[in-house]
Amino acid sequence: MATPELLLDLFLTFVRLGLTGFGGTNLAEMERLLVGQRGWIDARTFANGFALGQLMPGPNLLAVTHYGLVIAGGWGAAAATIGFYGPTAVLSAAAALLWKRHSAHPWSLTFRDALLPFGGGVMLAGVLVLGQTSIHSWAAAALAAITFVILRRSRLNSALVVVGAAVVGALIGL
Amino acid sequence: MTATLPPPLEDDPIQLDAPTTFQLARAFVGVALAGIGGGIPAHTRRAMLGRGWLSDAEFAEAFTLAQLTPGPNGVNLAAMVGARLGGKRGALASTLGVLTPGLIAMTAVTILLLGLPGGLPPVLQSALRGAACAALAVMLTMVGPIVRVGWSVKAGRLPVGAAVTVLTFVALGVLRLDLLPVLAVLVGVGLVAHRPTKETHGNA
Repeated sequence: MATPELLLDLFLTFVRLGLTGFGGTNLAEMERLLVGQRGWIDARTFANGFALGQLMPGPNLLAVTHYGLVIAGGWGAAAATIGFYGPTAVLSAAAALLWKRHSAHPWSLTFRDALLPFGGGVMLAGVLVLGQTSIHSWAAAALAAITFVILRRSRLNSALVVVGAAVVGALIGL
Repeated sequence: MTATLPPPLEDDPIQLDAPTTFQLARAFVGVALAGIGGGIPAHTRRAMLGRGWLSDAEFAEAFTLAQLTPGPNGVNLAAMVGARLGGKRGALASTLGVLTPGLIAMTAVTILLLGLPGGLPPVLQSALRGAACAALAVMLTMVGPIVRVGWSVKAGRLPVGAAVTVLTFVALGVLRLDLLPVLAVLVGVGLVAHRPTKETHGNA
């Protein structure tokens, strides 16, 4: 059973992982801590949890809930999830409220103009990385292209399109 | 400075059709359900623009801010958009909304799988790969509008925005450099290029 010490350690580890995942997630760091340093899960559990997180509704990193549950049961899942998402969500909300209050200040305009192109570049880089990890065959490229056209041409709910693509993937053994 | 961007919201003309806390929570549950396979930011954009709660420029602003706070982007973005549209309660509602469906699903699936030897069956692996292709496509639909907003930022006549966009892409996507130093340099360049002058003080 999970001891309070384990739960606290788990919580603090996930707080740290959440707060160091700048501009996305530091998967390498997560693997290093959970599999290597702490030895809480094996590499296969790590990989499976990540893949499952991709298929869950919501943010990709719901894998943290999976890890917490595997490591220490229900309380472990709660500790990992709250630790990972809580502090960063509070920070983000605080940043947004500050921004709203001061957005008419001349330096805020400067800040915004400096940040917007950076945000665009980050997004393009994310597309490249995601493309490299998910497109490994012509079939996958075709599936991505077809879903893109469907999303652009229709007002179809994107969840339907994603689930449809998952079904197609399973049928053709992607 | 910005030729094509509207000025930032003074004191929220959007307040007229600002969503309630409950509407925000419901919208983000929808975003989470749509975000199977990832792409929460893209689904957030679709949901917010579709309801008329945010414009493309406002979304680009929130998206960029969400990149700058540490942690998972999709949840940060929900917290930010929620805070912007509904204050603290809006932030809480949006964050819980975007997390809840996945928490329930992930807990259920994990409990099922823990009893299963050998991990994920191949057919589920294939389905995951298919979903990932669609996730990429969802992200691609968002790229154009977001990049255009930053791209059009100019300092006088200099296309600083376009240059920073390209350099950021190369540094993070191609060279895979650390985000923090890249951010310090390229945002630093932008801050110097767009620093307030006497004229902008006048009309800001």
